[in-house]
Amino acid sequence: MSVMRFLPATRRLGLRARLTLIFALGAALLSAILSVTTWELTRENLLLQRLDAARQSAIANATFVSKELKLPRAADASNFEKLLTSLPTPEGAQPVISYNQDVGGKPAAYAKDPLQFGLNDLPEKLRVTVTSGQAATMRYYARKDNNPYLAVGIPIASSNASYYEAVPLQDVENALDGLGISLLGAAALTTLAGGLFGFWISRRALAPLTEVGTAAGAIAGGRLDTRLEVSGDPDLDTLTVSFNEMAAALESRLDRDARFASEVSHELRSPLMTLAASIEVLENSRDEMPERARTALDLMRADVERFQQLVEDLLEISRFDVGAITLHLDEVLVVDFVIQAVGAAGAGGIKVIYDEDVGEAVVRLDKRRFVRVIANLLDNAAKYAGGATSIQIQLASRNAGEGGQSHEVVRIAVEDSGHGVPADERTMIFDRFSRGGEGGNRGADSGVGLGLALVDEHVRLHGGTVWVEDRLDGKAGARFVIELPAVPESEPHLAEPVAV
Amino acid sequence: MGTRILAVEDDERIRTAVKMALEDEGWVVEEADNGEDALESFSRHPTDVVLIDIMLPGIDGFEVCRSIRRNSDVPIVMVTARADTHDVVAGLEAGADDYLTKPFAPKELSARIRALLRRARTSDPGISHLKFGDLEIVPEEGMVLRDGQEVHLTKTEFRLLVELAASPGRVFSREVLLERVWGYGYFGDGRLVDVHIRRLRMKVESDPANPRHVVTVRGLGYKLQT
Repeated sequence: MSVMRFLPATRRLGLRARLTLIFALGAALLSAILSVTTWELTRENLLLQRLDAARQSAIANATFVSKELKLPRAADASNFEKLLTSLPTPEGAQPVISYNQDVGGKPAAYAKDPLQFGLNDLPEKLRVTVTSGQAATMRYYARKDNNPYLAVGIPIASSNASYYEAVPLQDVENALDGLGISLLGAAALTTLAGGLFGFWISRRALAPLTEVGTAAGAIAGGRLDTRLEVSGDPDLDTLTVSFNEMAAALESRLDRDARFASEVSHELRSPLMTLAASIEVLENSRDEMPERARTALDLMRADVERFQQLVEDLLEISRFDVGAITLHLDEVLVVDFVIQAVGAAGAGGIKVIYDEDVGEAVVRLDKRRFVRVIANLLDNAAKYAGGATSIQIQLASRNAGEGGQSHEVVRIAVEDSGHGVPADERTMIFDRFSRGGEGGNRGADSGVGLGLALVDEHVRLHGGTVWVEDRLDGKAGARFVIELPAVPESEPHLAEPVAV
Repeated sequence: MGTRILAVEDDERIRTAVKMALEDEGWVVEEADNGEDALESFSRHPTDVVLIDIMLPGIDGFEVCRSIRRNSDVPIVMVTARADTHDVVAGLEAGADDYLTKPFAPKELSARIRALLRRARTSDPGISHLKFGDLEIVPEEGMVLRDGQEVHLTKTEFRLLVELAASPGRVFSREVLLERVWGYGYFGDGRLVDVHIRRLRMKVESDPANPRHVVTVRGLGYKLQT
């Protein structure tokens, strides 16, 4: 048998879980890339705008300051304040003017509002660069309050001074933080949506597989005519068509096998007919035969009967296989039926024991088939246990599954005084051609092992069960129990004759 | 002169063996190996019982059955290889009185033939005329009249009707009818009764689909009423 492996052997998650996960991860990755890109571009853009504005403003203001510093009134410290205030700076910008060397008695640097922002609030590195005569731009966090700033420094060579302008970036940072949170939220939502979408897609995509599974289960359960509906989807139809072809092939093959068994059995009936009639003719002149010929005739008759039974059993089994059994159900008093069946099986001497309350119990069965069931159990006892010791009929009640409603059942138990059936053989014994483990205990008249299999099939077809257990009285021996649903008294009796 | 049986069977060995076994039982056996010969033989020789295998080459057993039934009420026993298919019902519908499944014991066949040849009887031999509305039964003459017109019944149909008529209104279970008309025990085939009741209704009822005389009693059996 070859098993095609579609999936790695070490898989832990189901196909659906994996598809969901893949979709979720894909969505997460995609939204992460998009978010990061968006955030970066926005940040660049915002900063660049600020930088441009700050530069332009600083250059313009530095030019103006450079002119002012050359004027004599620049020596007056109070004029610096006026000058700094009058400069057209962008919103919140802090202008700072500083001399590169101490000018006797005068402060080295002037700021618009020295308490809030002074020279010391500019980074050392920027000041060094600008003092050395180079214009520079720098983004930094102020030491005092750890707020972000963008500072532009321009040297004013003519007065040996520097002009600085620091623009606060707090609003940009805030905007970027807000954007970051929004993007994160969006990414999380996208991931969730991706996962849900993956789950939905996988359900949709796997729905045909579920159907295939259900159909395969139905076929395994015996409904061989189960087929998948062709959907018209070219991708799926390859599977559907192959599956249906496989199911059809399986069905016709099983059908052929069963038909073959049935044909063979029918073919065997003609020679058996000749044999049966010929044996009867011989029987009629039995008295004129020598002793040896009579013995031979007895042997022949016994085996022709056995052969007949075998053919009947095979035929019946093949009918089960093609599902060609039509029961002719009758409602019978179970005690009556069992007594008649025991008589018909030529075992009239066996005790039939029943309680008074079983006397009125009615079961629904195919009389001609069920008489074989009783006969098979009696045959089985005769072959393996020296004959049945008794048949007991009892009423019991059984719970009908979840409903918790119990219904009446009738148990027909055939007991013998043989060696019993070991616990591990109690299921197998009902298989076809099984003979149990105690092969040695069998008489010369060994059966073919179809008897109990037929009992099992028939009882199940009648909605009952059959099992074997130890004798209830503790003595050695087997107890074969058939359980059939009792027909409730209240239930309306069968309508038109069923046997047509 | 003994009772003559016409045995129609295409398998020569079966035919020969069954003929010998039946002759041992005291019957006179006429053979035919196909439908045409069977009809030919039937029309030429007086025959008391016909035994037909359904599976015949040429004209099949059903057709032979129907041809014979068209102008004879001779008891017909049909032989089939399949007991649980439609063959049985189809054979009974075609006019057979009873059936046997291959392989059967010739002694069993003899018992069936004897049961079919038994004369119809009523429980009270004094009754010679029974009337049920438009239906009249004259057991002594083996005659049934509907609206004064004679209705032609086979021997088995007639016996079934007489059994029911012996106790008008009483419900007869299939088992009882099988036992009384066919001589079967507990395990007889109820289909024999059902199909014969249908055949009977076709002949004695003015509307066989809504029978007035031969009535089904749900779950119990059949009865005859006025």
